[in-house]
Amino acid sequence: MTRMRPDDDLFDEVLLRRALRLEASELPPRLGVAVIAARAEDSPLGLATFVSSLFAGLAAAALLAVGAVTAWSLAPSVASDAFAAAISLLASIAVPLEVAVRAMQQPTIPIAALAAFVFAVGYEYRTRKEPANG
Amino acid sequence: MAASVALASFVPAIATPRPVTFSDAVRDHQDEVYGVALRITGDRESALDVMSSTFLKAYRAFDRYDPSRPVRFWLLRIATNEAISHARRRGRELRRRADEHAAGVLPDPALTPDALSIAREDQARIRAAVTALPELYRVVIVLRYFNELGVDEIALVTGRPASTVGVQLLRGRALLRRALEGTG
Repeated sequence: MTRMRPDDDLFDEVLLRRALRLEASELPPRLGVAVIAARAEDSPLGLATFVSSLFAGLAAAALLAVGAVTAWSLAPSVASDAFAAAISLLASIAVPLEVAVRAMQQPTIPIAALAAFVFAVGYEYRTRKEPANG
Repeated sequence: MAASVALASFVPAIATPRPVTFSDAVRDHQDEVYGVALRITGDRESALDVMSSTFLKAYRAFDRYDPSRPVRFWLLRIATNEAISHARRRGRELRRRADEHAAGVLPDPALTPDALSIAREDQARIRAAVTALPELYRVVIVLRYFNELGVDEIALVTGRPASTVGVQLLRGRALLRRALEGTG
């Protein structure tokens, strides 16, 4: 039932106009000038804007001040706590790593010992095996 | 002689037209202001709010209104801006309600398979599709097809360049067509 034509640029503007038209059942209630005037007097725009802006400004300034004071008072203790936590974390990592670090500083000793041990085991195995075959 | 006297009596009336009063503006344009608000917001309550705030703003600014320009465009400009602001505030909730409303007014074709019900269905679908358009295109489509404004007049009301309005109308129509093909 779509009357917007899909395959060309023609567009059923009449249908669109008809669809958007206000029907009698949609018409709004009559608005009286006296009502508008009374409403305008009830809430003078300039004063209302000024008062709301003033309150918003004061609230923002108060919030900013509270935030700044809180941050200023908490900053030293938070900083020291953070520093202590960082130091203890560093220590807990450094202690187990000390052995590995020490070995890494002189890598030739454990490597030479390991090589000698492997060579000795191999030699022993070979010399024990020879009489059995011979 | 009689003809010249009669002409002279008409000339002052033509030369100095009666200035538009605020009462005239409200009486002559409230349906149009309400209509543009309804078609942009897609919601009756919002449209009533927009109409009310439009005339409230117009009342307060009426002493600054330039009488050399048509009051209709001045009011439509205020109404369009108010409707856009209102629609932005309502955002998603508004779209959801428009969809629900559109779904609610769709008649059952099995029960009423006559031309009237088909026309109603089309109308509801088109209105829902217009309401679902992005704000940029919705405003120009409503001003063009509801308010019957030309491209230059839409440019005057929206404050956009006429060339931009032309492009937005084309794009809006294409989006509408696509949306209606999807639901058709």
